[in-house]
Amino acid sequence: MSAAVALQRKLEADSAAYQTLQKDYSKAVESRQRLDSQLQENKLVQDEFKLLKDDANIYKLIGPVLTKQDKAEAVTNVDKRIDFIQAEIDRVEKQLQDLQEKTEKKRMELVQTQTALQQHAAQQK
Amino acid sequence: MAQQQKIELQDLDLNQLVEVKKQLEEELSHLTSSFGQLKQAQNRFADCIESCKAIDTCNKDKTILVPLTSSLYVPGKLADVEKVVVDIGTGYYVEKTTEDAIKFYNTKVDFVKENLEKIQATVAQKQGNLRSLVDVMQYKVQMQQQEQKAAAVTKA
Repeated sequence: MSAAVALQRKLEADSAAYQTLQKDYSKAVESRQRLDSQLQENKLVQDEFKLLKDDANIYKLIGPVLTKQDKAEAVTNVDKRIDFIQAEIDRVEKQLQDLQEKTEKKRMELVQTQTALQQHAAQQK
Repeated sequence: MAQQQKIELQDLDLNQLVEVKKQLEEELSHLTSSFGQLKQAQNRFADCIESCKAIDTCNKDKTILVPLTSSLYVPGKLADVEKVVVDIGTGYYVEKTTEDAIKFYNTKVDFVKENLEKIQATVAQKQGNLRSLVDVMQYKVQMQQQEQKAAAVTKA
């Protein structure tokens, strides 16, 4: 009987761990999507800067005020931001892969415990 | 492709089909809401083009009402009809001539339009998938009912 209880406990713990993994995964997916839309927006701005003349007036919105900014400065700013977002995307991508592997492993464990429990129950009969 | 998918659908049982249907419906509602948002964005850009066109030399020095909030306006004079400041995203604003601004908004409208078409194609495809899925589901339900009837007859 105690073996069945232990298996039951393990099953509960496994499914709880599995659920947290899934939650983490969906969170990571969300941040991946957010990063992607940020990257898109920044790329649009970068393209727009390329079309501008060097002496164009560029303003940056800081709080409620627009402040003037050099084109070179604005361009490097946006380039830097794109690099940063790209790095973030790579990081989240790795995280996603990692989580996927972990989730798959947990799922296998879960199935194993389940079958063990069923076998145990069958033997009891 | 569609043929392939249909064979796959036949292999699934009803519960799985219901799951797939739910997923497809979720995707569809997400896509349609994105479609609506893009449509709104397109309209906003079109409005901007109209506004830019109103700022021309024949309207110079005319008095206008400048909205401070949605319900508070102050009178002002249109001093400069050559240049406007355009929001290009991520907090950056660029001074442009009105013609350039119109050009800018036109490219935006085209960009959005392209994406709208893409989404529309995806929506059509997903709807097709959903339809064939529902067909298979109905077929399966019918089969199940017939089996039940047959079982009932043999029992009787």
